[in-house]
Amino acid sequence: MKMIILESKKQNQMSQKTSRRKFLKKSVSAVTGVVMLPYIVPSSSLGLGEKIPPSERIAMGVIGTGSQGMSNMRSFLRLRDQVRFIALCDVDAKRLAAAKAVVDKANNSTDCRIYSDFREFMEKETLDAVLIAIPDHWHGIIYTAAANKKWDIYGEKPICRTINDGKVIVQAVKKNGIIWQTGSWQRSQENFHRGAELVINGRIGKVKYIEVGLPDGVRGIGTPPVQEVPEGLDWDMWLGPALKVPYRGVCHWNWRWILDYSGGQLTDWAGHHVDIANWGTGLEYTGPVEIEGTGFYPYDGIYDVPVEYDITCKFANGIIMRIANASRLPKGMGTAWYGDLGWIHVDRGNKISASDPKILEETIGENEIHLYKSNDHFQNFIDCIRSRKEAVAPIEPAYRAISTALLGEIAMTTGQKIYWDPEKEEIIGNPVASRLLGRPYRKPWKLPEV
Amino acid sequence: MKRLFSIFLIISVILIAFTECRKSPYYRALIVTGQNSTDWAASTPILKQILEQTGIFECSIIVSPAPGEDMGKFRPAFDRYDLIVLNYYGAAWPEEVKSSFVNYVNNGGGVLVYHSASRAFPDWKEYNEICGISGWENRSEKDGPYVYFRNNRMVLDSSAGPAGWHGEPREFEVRIRNSEHPVTKGLPVRWMHAKDLLYARLRGPARNMEILATAHCDTTGGGSGRDEPVIFTVTYGKGRVFHTPLGFPGEGDSPALQCAGFITTLQRGAEWAASGRVTQPVPRDFPTISGVVIRTEMKPLTLKAEIENLAKYEIGMSTRYYTGLQDRIRKAAGNPEKLLEIEKMMVKLLENEQATTESKKLVLRELSWMGTDYCIPAIKKLQENTELKEEVEFALERLGAK
Repeated sequence: MKMIILESKKQNQMSQKTSRRKFLKKSVSAVTGVVMLPYIVPSSSLGLGEKIPPSERIAMGVIGTGSQGMSNMRSFLRLRDQVRFIALCDVDAKRLAAAKAVVDKANNSTDCRIYSDFREFMEKETLDAVLIAIPDHWHGIIYTAAANKKWDIYGEKPICRTINDGKVIVQAVKKNGIIWQTGSWQRSQENFHRGAELVINGRIGKVKYIEVGLPDGVRGIGTPPVQEVPEGLDWDMWLGPALKVPYRGVCHWNWRWILDYSGGQLTDWAGHHVDIANWGTGLEYTGPVEIEGTGFYPYDGIYDVPVEYDITCKFANGIIMRIANASRLPKGMGTAWYGDLGWIHVDRGNKISASDPKILEETIGENEIHLYKSNDHFQNFIDCIRSRKEAVAPIEPAYRAISTALLGEIAMTTGQKIYWDPEKEEIIGNPVASRLLGRPYRKPWKLPEV
Repeated sequence: MKRLFSIFLIISVILIAFTECRKSPYYRALIVTGQNSTDWAASTPILKQILEQTGIFECSIIVSPAPGEDMGKFRPAFDRYDLIVLNYYGAAWPEEVKSSFVNYVNNGGGVLVYHSASRAFPDWKEYNEICGISGWENRSEKDGPYVYFRNNRMVLDSSAGPAGWHGEPREFEVRIRNSEHPVTKGLPVRWMHAKDLLYARLRGPARNMEILATAHCDTTGGGSGRDEPVIFTVTYGKGRVFHTPLGFPGEGDSPALQCAGFITTLQRGAEWAASGRVTQPVPRDFPTISGVVIRTEMKPLTLKAEIENLAKYEIGMSTRYYTGLQDRIRKAAGNPEKLLEIEKMMVKLLENEQATTESKKLVLRELSWMGTDYCIPAIKKLQENTELKEEVEFALERLGAK
């Protein structure tokens, strides 16, 4: 069943690409000697072990060269015999210069171009793929614009700050037929894959309840005064579509503790453990129907995201999912599926445990569901760029995972139980809560047409 | 049949009347004090205020003879109360008082052991069992194990050593270890406690003891390096004991006693000890790890006062009146009249020429999602204000009123 869904989605993704892309595709086929690639594409079968001439490497760019952008970039630099970074973009000149130094060293050349404005970057560059790692409030505009360029995208989770942004991004990725990989790298880890596969094949019986533990909130920093914008940072551009506020020392990394830009740990981490929870229960292409939640918000200070949160959602098939900060849950961080025959818990650090250890020794039969297998999240993206197959972490599951958390955020903000139609993607019978599905953009910013 | 119904009716009325008159004040509490190593004269009225603020306690105080004076006539009537609050550390009680206290607890009486009270009476076996753990007064391994938390478990450590230690007063994080208990249910799992003494290396019989919260004692100055119990319960006979070593009076205004976390847990603990249940809601100012919350005046703000304070907001100032307003809105969910009342006050702030631009920006953000048609004319009037242009557009767009 699962496989069939994926197969049909894959076909939708096949579409026209740039001439360079076609060339890449042809060259891969030539190396492997087959036209149709197997569903699972180990890099060895692509002949990627052999040296690829620089002219045939995937031309990549980066938008957002901060901590996550650099981390992703370094992971791709491991695979520099297959990719080449040719252009970088960031609103902070210092970070941009640091990133260029790393790329130049790897390229053994100084020809990598740099931009401070993504519009110029998009206008001038011709890329195969782009890595995007920027604050959430910018995702709607930049993901959509990059998809419209028909660049394949490695994009960071959460894929959107609001559900309305998310809908447009999903549409843009699908309509443009690009390859999308979400930075939900847990999908390429053995324990998460194994746990999800055991659950989806009924090894703990019928799943009734899922607990998802995400990090506890961070300590506040009080109410800092207005400060001078650091040299090299384009603050107005950093804010972009968000309301204009003076610079108060909170920008890189810590933007995630301010509601204008992020929903805190809840939205930061939903793309990991909620995504895995959905993967193991076949909920990745739907959403909850009822959502309730309580948040403890800081009493004071510039950080305003909930420091504790406890959300309970119900899905149409009756599964209950509780998403809370780890301290509130018996198993703490990670995803715990509870079925009528037992439970399985997975977490980072290659952790997997079960109510009965024997469950973990079970094998999955040939005719059972085999979840997409990737053992290298970055290699998987490259392989899929060449093969035009869907990557292990496609756009819609990413959207479904974050929309569940965002509905939880709406429930916490309004203090109300939210009813959601996952097909129409609308809140039912609550026009006030529905206003929170989006955030108006500051002029002149608006979402690009898809 | 008719007569039976009449009797039923009469009984019902009596029952209702009885319930009503028991409602306020519902429980009687007695604070026992008069001698202590800490400033009992300062802490006792605050404890009384904290308990009475719940609206369910009527609180009396009994002051013992001063140190060195004759204790012979000291006779607290424990049995008349639902809760005994221990704020006493001094001369031994007469045997008669001791046995009546033990009987009171055995028969289901509630006890609240506050701060240094557990230090009292090292040789009185039952008292130490009621307190669970304690320190000082030459207590050691002979008195029971050290009790602390390690790897998410309560540890009873019988290793030899003295009982009781504390460092300098400081702010520290309290960690709830059992969120299922009525006292701690619904509280943030981690929160900052105001400047206080953290008691460490407490030991004792620790029988029927359940730890609800701990705080980490670092090794500075010889600290234990352990997660020390700071809120716990003991059951003794039919009695319920709520014990907190927190709440050092001193350090100026006694910040520990003004901490919203301390106040709330004490209030809830008192109700639980007196009745076995907790009916009080979690207050909106309960601290989180984002910082200490001090209640300088313990009365909750009215909506009017909150809006008036918010109207003075400038960047860099406390956002507590804004977060208070947000919380009020959340709490009023599903109550259109209440929400409209709040909205009207928000609109008043928008119309108030004395209100700061920054406060209007915050109010416009909230109105953008929760406002009704009522607020739209007031928002439109602000369209001319260049400083508020973006926030006005933001609000009108979200309200669908452009």
